[in-house]
Amino acid sequence: MSEESSSKSTRKLVLPGDLMETKSKPGKGIFRKDGRVHASVVGHSSDKSGYINVNGIKGRYNPKTGDKIIAICAETGPSIWRMDIGAAFNSTLHHSESGWKVPFGDTARFLSIGDAVWAEIFMVDAAGTHQITLKKDDCRKLYSGTIVKIDPTNVPRVIGKQGSMITTIREKTQTRIQIGQNGCIWIDGKGDDISLAQKAIEMINEEATSKGLTKKIEKLLEK
Amino acid sequence: MAGQTDMELIKNGVRLDGRKPDELREVKIVAGVLDNADGSCYLEWGNNKVYAGVFGPMECHPRHKQKADRAIVQARYTMAPFSVNDRKRPGLDRRSSEISYIASQAFEKVVMVEEFPKASIRVDMQVVEAHAGTRCAAITAASVALADAGIPMRDMIPACASGKVNDIVVLDLNKEEDNYGQADLPLAIIPSTGEVVLLQLDGHLTPEQFEEAMDLATSGCMDLYDKMRAALENRYGGKK
Repeated sequence: MSEESSSKSTRKLVLPGDLMETKSKPGKGIFRKDGRVHASVVGHSSDKSGYINVNGIKGRYNPKTGDKIIAICAETGPSIWRMDIGAAFNSTLHHSESGWKVPFGDTARFLSIGDAVWAEIFMVDAAGTHQITLKKDDCRKLYSGTIVKIDPTNVPRVIGKQGSMITTIREKTQTRIQIGQNGCIWIDGKGDDISLAQKAIEMINEEATSKGLTKKIEKLLEK
Repeated sequence: MAGQTDMELIKNGVRLDGRKPDELREVKIVAGVLDNADGSCYLEWGNNKVYAGVFGPMECHPRHKQKADRAIVQARYTMAPFSVNDRKRPGLDRRSSEISYIASQAFEKVVMVEEFPKASIRVDMQVVEAHAGTRCAAITAASVALADAGIPMRDMIPACASGKVNDIVVLDLNKEEDNYGQADLPLAIIPSTGEVVLLQLDGHLTPEQFEEAMDLATSGCMDLYDKMRAALENRYGGKK
């Protein structure tokens, strides 16, 4: 498939049950019935490099191994924390994956309910349960700053092509920003800068499907 | 049903509210009206007004209801105390628990429950004004809300009733026809396959009338389906 035809791929709104007229293999957001493929969610279809996908507009975060996410502590156990990552189920953070030396029953001293961490998903099993770890790269507990929640499906939009959108926001507002794949975004910096960056991100979330978004954001940040 | 009245429910092929026997009441559907729900819908159908909210998939509580290989759909149909003429005692009663159960069964047919083991998808349907046909209105609204929540499903299910008034088979009974008519047949289908996911019958129909009522209700469902699609396209800008 040529570059042109793939970028011009028909992007149209599909609804659950819609028949997809295609010869491509089924990707995500698709189910097969009687040898034909149908959309299973409300979303935009894209037919690229031999695969047909429906990118859902809404929906909960679907955890994948290796994703960097922001998790918020929801429950503490004697040797584990249960972390809210915005998926169907809470994730488990075992003390051995925390990097701290946690005495048995003393988990709340390190991470109590409401505390946030920048973590990585290291295991997802077939039953849908998942575990996160703090022992990778720059994973850590988050102390200052603000967390903004957006739809996980809009995360690529906030990042932009090759990170263009997020670089703009970072540079214009002089803030530190980390984007979790689960739609939680951590912003740190000066008070006014944080609120401006937050405003920009919330605007992207609300107008994710509109055109000329980069220009709108630049205009917002110029003020 | 079974009530007595002096009213002439259908006169020269025109019903009390001026409709023909095969006409639906006016339907208005708006998707995405509740901020705190994952997906939601507001539906007006004649004088019926229904809100539907979808929450989940989330961990199933109580845990003994969890299924190791799939999700369950926990639908809940409730009528507001002010939704009917005589104040209704709030909370679940015999009628609403029955409707909640059949609605759950209907949704489990279309929602891809096997993708979310041990989870539960909560569907709350709240009737704020009732004027006959609320179970159909609630199921229709909840289908739109499920799609709005981004939950993978095979199709949306429209639900519509038909019935018998003065020995004439009619579509979409209104309050008077429901109270004093001869039969009421709510039906929900999967439009893409024609499968029936909900069918109830109250009253008497001959086999021929039953066939006719089924056909009428099916065509009503298909009309409704277009309106459901339009509501979602409206919300997500498909008409651009």
